[in-house]
Amino acid sequence: MSLSLDDVRGIAEYARIALNADELTEMTSYLNDALERVLEPITHFELDGVVPVFHPIGDLSNVMRDDVPSNESLPIDVALQNTASQEDRFFRIPSILGNGGER
Amino acid sequence: MSAYIEDLDAALIAKAVKEGSISALEVAQASLDAIDKRDPQIHAFIQVTPELALKAAQDIDNARAQGKELPPLAGVPIAFKDNMHLIGSRTTCASHMLENYESVFTATAVQRMLDAGCVPVGKLNMDEFAFGSSTESSYFGHTCNPYDIERVPGGSSGGSAAAVASGMVPLTLGSDTGGSIRQPASFCGVVGFKPTYGMVSRYGIVAFGSSLDQVGPFGRSVHDVALAMNALAGRDERDCTSQPWNIDFTADLNSGVEGMKIGIVSSLNNAEGVEAEVVDAINKAAQNLTAAGAELVEVELPHAAAAIAAYYVLAPCEAFSNLARFDGVRYGHRPNDARDLADMTSRARAEGFGPEVKRRIMLGAHLLASGVYDKYYYPAQQVRALITEDYKKAYEQVDAILMPTSPHTAFKFGELSNPTQMYLSDMFTISLNIAGNAGISVPVGFGSASGLPIGAQLIGPAFQDHKLLRIAASLEASYEATQCAPGFTKKGGLLS
Amino acid sequence: MKELEEVLKDWEPVIGLECHTELTTLQTKMFCGCRLSHDDEPNTNVCPVCLGMPGALPAPNKAAIQSIVLAGLATNCEIMKRSMFYRKNYFYPDMAKNFQTTQGPIAFCMGGWLDLEVTGAAARERYDDGTLTPGPEGGYIAHVGITRIHMEEDAAKMIHVGGIDGRIDGADHSLIDYNRCGTPLIELVTEPDLRSPEEARLFMEKLRQIFLTLGISDCSLESGSMRCDGNISLRRRGTKKFGTKTELKNINSFKSLHDGLEYEIRRQAEVLEEGGIVYQETRHWETSTKRTLVMRTKETADDYRFFPEPDLAPYDLSEEFIEDVRSRLPELPDARRDRYAQSFGIKRSDAAQIAGDPDVAKFFEAAMEGKDIKLARSVANVILNDLAGYLNAEGKTVATMSITPAQVASLADLLATDAITSSQGREVFQAMAETGKDPAAIVDERGMRQVSDLSALEPVVESVLEACPDQVAQYKGGNTKVIGYLVGQCMKASKGNGNPKLFNQLLSQKLG
Repeated sequence: MSLSLDDVRGIAEYARIALNADELTEMTSYLNDALERVLEPITHFELDGVVPVFHPIGDLSNVMRDDVPSNESLPIDVALQNTASQEDRFFRIPSILGNGGER
Repeated sequence: MSAYIEDLDAALIAKAVKEGSISALEVAQASLDAIDKRDPQIHAFIQVTPELALKAAQDIDNARAQGKELPPLAGVPIAFKDNMHLIGSRTTCASHMLENYESVFTATAVQRMLDAGCVPVGKLNMDEFAFGSSTESSYFGHTCNPYDIERVPGGSSGGSAAAVASGMVPLTLGSDTGGSIRQPASFCGVVGFKPTYGMVSRYGIVAFGSSLDQVGPFGRSVHDVALAMNALAGRDERDCTSQPWNIDFTADLNSGVEGMKIGIVSSLNNAEGVEAEVVDAINKAAQNLTAAGAELVEVELPHAAAAIAAYYVLAPCEAFSNLARFDGVRYGHRPNDARDLADMTSRARAEGFGPEVKRRIMLGAHLLASGVYDKYYYPAQQVRALITEDYKKAYEQVDAILMPTSPHTAFKFGELSNPTQMYLSDMFTISLNIAGNAGISVPVGFGSASGLPIGAQLIGPAFQDHKLLRIAASLEASYEATQCAPGFTKKGGLLS
Repeated sequence: MKELEEVLKDWEPVIGLECHTELTTLQTKMFCGCRLSHDDEPNTNVCPVCLGMPGALPAPNKAAIQSIVLAGLATNCEIMKRSMFYRKNYFYPDMAKNFQTTQGPIAFCMGGWLDLEVTGAAARERYDDGTLTPGPEGGYIAHVGITRIHMEEDAAKMIHVGGIDGRIDGADHSLIDYNRCGTPLIELVTEPDLRSPEEARLFMEKLRQIFLTLGISDCSLESGSMRCDGNISLRRRGTKKFGTKTELKNINSFKSLHDGLEYEIRRQAEVLEEGGIVYQETRHWETSTKRTLVMRTKETADDYRFFPEPDLAPYDLSEEFIEDVRSRLPELPDARRDRYAQSFGIKRSDAAQIAGDPDVAKFFEAAMEGKDIKLARSVANVILNDLAGYLNAEGKTVATMSITPAQVASLADLLATDAITSSQGREVFQAMAETGKDPAAIVDERGMRQVSDLSALEPVVESVLEACPDQVAQYKGGNTKVIGYLVGQCMKASKGNGNPKLFNQLLSQKLG
């Protein structure tokens, strides 16, 4: 069952990628092509009872660090140096619901 | 005076600097000069860092003058794929999203090379966020293959391979998620090594597929790569998937392959789509290994065919999640006229990411959706278990497996324009990342038809990387020493 | 809307809680070495990891995992040796990576329970269908299942600027402070076993007592280090099928939890009885107007695209790890209550109150150190009456006050031996709190020693009887209650120092 334009619009909204009408069409055909040509084989294997491996790390487990401050917190100018908008010591973002005054 | 470093590998430079026959500053300047002259043609660099390089070189010369013992790679110019953080440089991932991103810390792998005495000359071009096999998707324009500037250098670490092949630096670092070190090494006629997952810290490397990514070196010899591994390998408490490792990778490097068993997977080597000149070159490499005393053994990897599908499930899923942080809030591109937060983020990502990045994010977001997850993601992790098991069984019979790195030599720009077609060309490299094992691409001459470099891939079991390098060194020894691409060599370098 | 009692006749409330607790007593965040201090200047305790900088990787805090195992052991959970972290993917800038690192289907702690003793007025909120398990002091016992406790990380704090009262709705822009981002957080989810607002309140209170006793958090509902959401639905009494639930958020006190749930029960009953539909939505308890308001409607369940966190190795906790944590398990409030009731002979309800707060319990035990257990009741009385009242009025806690256990023990002793009266006791307590002086010194200073010497008291009684012939006559006429007045006169004449019990005895003898 292939993905519709609406499906892809929903995914784009969730993934926060604005797509215009042409891009949406192109993306839809890409996704369907990838699913059919590249990914489809994964659905054909006999996998009953196969325990999945989520990490290629052998028996490595329980990796933890001690609860000791690293003293590696960033100076404020470094913490904020790559942001496009700041105010006082904060990161600044536009109105979340879009019904405020800022444009 | 201007020095020529084209013919010097890392080992020779470090030796010369240690002996005082050349200063680190001279070497650094030579590298920067070579970049000045050659990079306009190759475009391997996104950023050159002369201040960092000259400062590091000066420090080494000062240390030597004070009689201090120099670290093993003192004075060796190095450049890093631009997904690796280095304080004092931008880290762009070849993306408009991070065009102006200043590194706020230095990646562990980068730091370890600097601690080993390497001199950082710049940051290297790549496919945007490492999604690609040709370096064509870089926001800053493609890198050219030094053997034929009409052709791609491979990818995603195309800049890392081309910089070494064109003699601008002897050593670079790249990252490999599905072949991104080995395939460009093959295309550019240099050595590229993807260590076992967990061998090298990923801390400070902008993540693509967290369970697949691994950092590794490029060089013109296996020995240089082994020297780099001596610096890189080992546990980093900042990367919880890194593992303790302390071994001298150069110790047994020249001990040969006498009595070793090398696996051949005939069904793979002769698969549809593998060019005849590649098959020939690999057969020749196999003969050379036999001549060196190894025994060839036919092995099976029954689930190899599933690797590409599994990879293109797992990698986009992890990439989708890893790239979610690029929302324009704390860093990265941000439109300045957004209506609201969602508009700001959606447009930051639409404008900041190139088409392939968006495609992978969208694919991952779809594959993880409830209901879809069970159809693709979960089976892909089961397939991962089967592939890992296949390798385990094969390595009970053999010490390493020999196969092509890529089914073909470097292709022309735009030749593989369909993204899914490009994906299918990763057939030899991908399964290794899924299993987490090590692999290396070694130059094995030039295609009889194309005249372009061909790489043979040797792959080995997890955490037997030193043995794999030893086999690679033996294979390498059966060919003429790897040179820079023609047009970039300069016989009669500084030490002659 | 109908009153709760009316509603309960026809409807059965089904309540489940989700309780988030920050592990405030740790030094560092969940996945990085930044300090846990939310009150510092904005964005002081931030690093590449908790700012979600590209290339940063998480490194889990061992002490946080020990804390959650401790919480699991204290709430009768099974500790799962094998579990993994997962990524919960959603875009919201208070989570710097735009995913939260949390746990998947298997959490560190699964399948626990707590029993609640519901007594007094609280018991009346539950409809008695005759199947309730009776409690030791009346009321009933509610058995509440705990589905799981999982480990995760807290979000950043946001300030919404330009709207009314800092609300997000209508705000002009927002500011983000990542100091809190990455704080170790444990989320406990209960089974839908709770049946009344009081049970919900008691559960939270008990959980808070346990976590305080474990020392894993300061558990402040006010500051938000302990937060609770309630899921509530109604079903017709006698039916099994769950109704549509609403989720109640913004609860910052035990009272809000109770009142918010009670309101929701009554609101939902009204909607259902009018033939309406309860929508699955998130509602927000507004304390000022005492009602719940819709925050957002969930049309479809959020799809968080969970998948195992590839940057973190799975857990395979060893027996030694778990046993090491178990060995640090302190005496829990219920056990402590039983011990106080049994070995000190104090009332079970008093014992429960003292045992419920680890600081108070510690204070009580310090006051009783080396003392006769007969003193326990008096010490408990001073703590639960004088001390509790004082702390309440002053807005202090046992940890921040200057009164010592020895002072309380000494006051309790003065009271237990009838050296001072209870009203003098209150005065001494007040003076002790204000001046820091010892009770004995205060009593001496103020000449308050209760006089129990009969030879000193007899003359006082004689003179009062003489001065009050009317009352004497009334007493003899059968109105024995008038003796109270006479005791009062004796106290007055003795300037409050006479022992009222002995005055009473002497008066009865003389009049009898």
